[in-house]
Amino acid sequence: MNLLFPTSTESKDHIQARLMSWTAGFILIYAISLTLAPAARLHSWNIAYRWTHWPAVLVWIVGFALLHRQTRKYTPDRDPYLLPIMALLSGWGLLTIWRLTPDFGIRQTLWLIVCQALFWFGLKIPNLIQELRHYKYLSLSGILLLIALTLIFGAYPGGFGPRLWLGCCGIYFQPAEALKLLMVVYLAAYLSERQATTIGLLQILTPAFLLVGSSITLLAVQRDLGTASLLIILFTLIVYLATGKRRVLLISAGLLSVAGLIGYQLFDVIRVRVEAWLNPWLDASGRSYQIVQSLLAFASGGFLGSGPGLGSPSVVPIAHSDFIFAAIGEESGLLGGVGLLLLLSILTLRGLKTAIRAANAYQRLLAGGITTYLISQSILIIGGNLRLLPLTGVTLPFVSYGGSSLLISFLSLLILLRISNDTQDQPSPLRHPEPYWTTAALLLTGLFALTLLQGWWSIIRSPALATRPDNPRRIIADRYVLRGQLLDRNNQVLAYTEGQPGNYLRRVTTSAVAPVIGYHNATYGQSGAEFGFDGYLRGLQGTPTSLVWYYSLLFSQPPPGLDVRLSLELNLQQQATQLLEGQTGALVLLNANTGEILAMASSPSFDPNQIEQQWPTWLNDQRAPLLNRAVQGLYPPGQALIPFLLADQLSRADLPNRPLALSYSLQGQLFECSQPLDTSATWNEILRFGCPTAALRLSEGKTSQDFRSLYEQIGFSQMPALPLPSSPPTQPDKNALPTLSALGQDGLRITPLQMALAASALNQQGNRPAPRLGLAVNTPTQGWIVFSNQQPQPSLPANGIVRTLPLLAANGLPIWEISANALGDEQQPIAWYLSGVQPSWQGTPLTLVIVLEDARPLQAAQLGHQFWQSLLSMQP
Amino acid sequence: MSGILILVLRILLAVCLYGFLIWAMLTIWHELRAHTQLIHPQHTPTLHLAILEGAPAQEKELALPEIILGRDPNSHFALNNETVSARHARISFHHNQWWVEDLHTTNGTYLNDQRIEAATVLVNGDELRCGQVVLSIGINP
Repeated sequence: MNLLFPTSTESKDHIQARLMSWTAGFILIYAISLTLAPAARLHSWNIAYRWTHWPAVLVWIVGFALLHRQTRKYTPDRDPYLLPIMALLSGWGLLTIWRLTPDFGIRQTLWLIVCQALFWFGLKIPNLIQELRHYKYLSLSGILLLIALTLIFGAYPGGFGPRLWLGCCGIYFQPAEALKLLMVVYLAAYLSERQATTIGLLQILTPAFLLVGSSITLLAVQRDLGTASLLIILFTLIVYLATGKRRVLLISAGLLSVAGLIGYQLFDVIRVRVEAWLNPWLDASGRSYQIVQSLLAFASGGFLGSGPGLGSPSVVPIAHSDFIFAAIGEESGLLGGVGLLLLLSILTLRGLKTAIRAANAYQRLLAGGITTYLISQSILIIGGNLRLLPLTGVTLPFVSYGGSSLLISFLSLLILLRISNDTQDQPSPLRHPEPYWTTAALLLTGLFALTLLQGWWSIIRSPALATRPDNPRRIIADRYVLRGQLLDRNNQVLAYTEGQPGNYLRRVTTSAVAPVIGYHNATYGQSGAEFGFDGYLRGLQGTPTSLVWYYSLLFSQPPPGLDVRLSLELNLQQQATQLLEGQTGALVLLNANTGEILAMASSPSFDPNQIEQQWPTWLNDQRAPLLNRAVQGLYPPGQALIPFLLADQLSRADLPNRPLALSYSLQGQLFECSQPLDTSATWNEILRFGCPTAALRLSEGKTSQDFRSLYEQIGFSQMPALPLPSSPPTQPDKNALPTLSALGQDGLRITPLQMALAASALNQQGNRPAPRLGLAVNTPTQGWIVFSNQQPQPSLPANGIVRTLPLLAANGLPIWEISANALGDEQQPIAWYLSGVQPSWQGTPLTLVIVLEDARPLQAAQLGHQFWQSLLSMQP
Repeated sequence: MSGILILVLRILLAVCLYGFLIWAMLTIWHELRAHTQLIHPQHTPTLHLAILEGAPAQEKELALPEIILGRDPNSHFALNNETVSARHARISFHHNQWWVEDLHTTNGTYLNDQRIEAATVLVNGDELRCGQVVLSIGINP
C-alpha cells in the first residue's frame, strides 16, 4: 500500500497515507466480495462471477493514488482526514451503484474520472479561493439563469420525472447542485465583507435574503423542494455562523414550518410525502411504497448486513440515488451504516476545525458553510430513508449516483482542503465562537439520531418487518432456495420445485391435486397446502434455530425447505378428480378413525402449472375454479341432516311411525325425496333417499335451541382445524322456524369437510375425528417427524348410532348411505351423498361425502357407488 | 464454503472500515493531546535568577511555570528597591520557551537594555533590568 500511497516523515502525510491504505483495503475487499457474491447466492463455485466493476476499482485506485501524491505536493499543511473520507465515501458509493445497476456504474465511473481530474488541477490553481470570491455574482447569476432555463429546456435523463436537468447527447447536468455550492460561496463572501460594519442585521441580510429567496422560489416552481429546503437551512446556518445571533435559528425554524404548511396545502408532492412520512403503513403498496421498501431493506440488513451483492436492495425504488443509504443499510447492515455516519461525524469536526483556524473571515465562513452544506444534505436524505424526516429528493454527497452531485461534492471538498492548507496557528480573531460549536452540536446530534434510528429499524423492528407479506425478499429467496416437496402418503411426489438456483419454479405432478395443494407463485401468492405448510416448505419451521441463523448469516437466505408428507393418496385423489369431471361440486374421502383426508376433490379445478397463462381467466370464471369447494364451499345441509336426526332420536326413543306422505310443500316450495318412491316405500328407503317428511317426523317436538345444540354436537358450528384456507362456520338465522331447521334450510351452511367429519362420527361410535392433512415432515436432524394428532371430539351418543346404521344400509355394498336434496341460496338444487362403511367392515373405516351443485341426488349417488366399488375392490 | 469465504470477507470489510475510523480517531486524539501539552507543559525547566546590582545580592533556582518579580515580599523573587513596582514583571514557561512580560510598570522592564512592550523570549545569559535592579538570567539546557 505504501507504493500506492507513499508516506513521509511529516505526520500529516503519514496519517493520510495510513487512512488511504485502510480505504483501499475496504474498496478492494468490497470489490472481491461483489465478484464472489453469486457463488454464495447459488451455493456453487461453478457459476458466472461478477467482474464488470473491476475497471471502476482501477479508476478509483489510480485516481486517488495520484490525488494523494498531488495533495502532498501542493497542500503540505492540509487536513489529512478530508481526502481519505472523500475517497472512502465515493468508492463505497461507486461500488454500490455498480452492484445495483451496472449501466449507471459505467456513467458514474466516467464522472469519477472527471471529478478526480478537476480535483487534481484544482490543487494546482494558486489563488482558487480568492478567485471564487471575485466571480461570485457572475457565477451565481449564471447558475440562476441555467435553472430558469431548465424551466423551458429541462429534461429528465431517466425518462419521465421532474425536469431538473440540462443537457444533450447523453450528458446531463443539474444546475441546482451547483447552486448550493455557489450560494455558500456567495454568502461567505458577502457576509464576511459586512461583518465589521455596525449597521443592523436586517440591513445586512436584505440583499442576501432577496437573492436566496428568489432562488428558492425558482426551485419551488420547479418542484425541486429538497434543494429549496436545503437552501433555507444553509442560509440560516451560515448567517448564524456569521452573526452569532440565535434568533436567526428560531426565525428560520418558524419560516420553514410556515413554508412547509403552505407547501402542504399547495403542492401535491409535499402532501403525498408528508402523509407517507407520518403514516407509511396505511398505504404501504401505494403512496408510501418507497419509504416502506426502504425500511424493509434496513430490517433485512440487520446488524451485519447481508454482505455485498447478497441482499436485494434493488427492490427499493431509485436505490442508486435517493435510497442509496437503504442499499448500504441492507448489504452492510447497522455496522456499515453507523460506520458511514461516523465518517460524516469526523468530516463535521474536521470541517469546522478548519473553519475555526481559517486565515480570514471569508475562508472561515466558506469552510463552515461547506461543512454545513455537505452534512445537512446527508442528514436530510438519510433521515428521509430512515423516516426521521419526510423524503426530499436530494442526493447523498459523494455516495449517490449522479454526475452533478459528485462533481459539486468533489469541488466542495477541494475548497475545504485548500482552506485547511492555509490555516494558521494564530488565526484571525473569532468574534462569535458560540455558533461554531452550536452548529457542530446540531449536526452531530442529527447524525447520532440517525444511528439510533437505524438501530431501531435494523434490530428492534427487524423481525416484524422481515415477515411482512409485502417484503419481496421472501419471493426472491424462493428463486434461490429449494422449497420442500409435498408428498402423498406413499411418498409419491405431489408438488416439487424444478429449474436451476436463481430460476426455481414450482410445479405439481398432476393437476388432480390442485384443490388441496393450491399454488405457490411469485406474482399470485399462495393457497392450499402450499400456504398451510409454508413454514416447513420454506425450512423456517422444523429446522433448528441455529441452522436458520447460520443460513441467514452466511447467505441471507432461509435454509433449504423440508419435505412434507400429506395424508392424500395420489391414486384415490386422481380417481376422485376424474369422477367429478364435468360437475360442479366437491368430494371428501376420510379415514373415519384418524381423520386423515385420503382424497379431496373440487370441481371445476385448475392446473397450477398453467398459473402464469391462465390466472386472469380463472379469476373471471363464474364457476370459481380457484375455490376449493371441499373446505371453502358452503352449502345448506338440506335433508342430509337425516342420519344425525335419526341417531339423535334413536339414542332417546324408538323409531316413530313412518310418515304417510313423502314430499312436503312449504311456502310454495316443494321438497321431495332424492328418488321417486311410491307410497309403499319402506322406512329404510324413506330415510336413505332423504325424504323431507322423514326429517320432519324425526324432528317433531324439537325447538330451535335443540337444533342449535345438535349442530354444536355434530361439529357444524366449528371450523375444522386444517392448514388449508377454509370458510369460517356459519350460524342458523335467528328467527328460523324449527320446520326449516328440520329441512336443513334454516340459514346454516356447512362445508363438505364438516359434513364428512360429522358422518365419520357415525362410523366411530360417536367420536368425531379431527381432520388431518399433514402426516410428517422430514427434518434435517431427526428425519421424519410425525405431526401430532388431535383428539377426537365426542359427538352423538353411541347407542343411537348403533341402531341408525342398519337402517341406512345400502343394497349390495357393505356401506350405509343417504342421498338427499338441499336448496341453494338461489333456489338451485344441491345434491348430497353421505356414506361410510358398516361397522362390520374389516378394512379402513372410510367415509365418503359428495356434494354437487345444480344436480340431482341420483347423480351424486351414482358417482358415490362408482367410487365405492373401486374403493372396496382395492381393500380386502 | 462460499458463504464462509464471503463471511470472512464481510468481517474484513468491517475491520477496514472501523480500522479507518479507529485510526482516524486515535490520531485526532493524539493531536488533541499534543495540543494541550503544548499549552500546559508537564515539565518546567529550572530558571536561575541572580541580582547583579541595585539590591542586596540574591540568587534563586526556580522551577515554576509562572514567576512574578516585584517589590512585594510575597513575589516569587522579591526585589527590594523603590524603582521596582509591587508586581513588576512576569516570567512564564510555555510553547517550550521562557517568556518575560512587563506588568504595566512606571519604570519599565528592559531586556539587554531594550524596553519590552510585549511578551519576549528569554535566552541563557540575558540581562534583565527592573527599574534600577539588574538581574542575570540563567536557563539550564
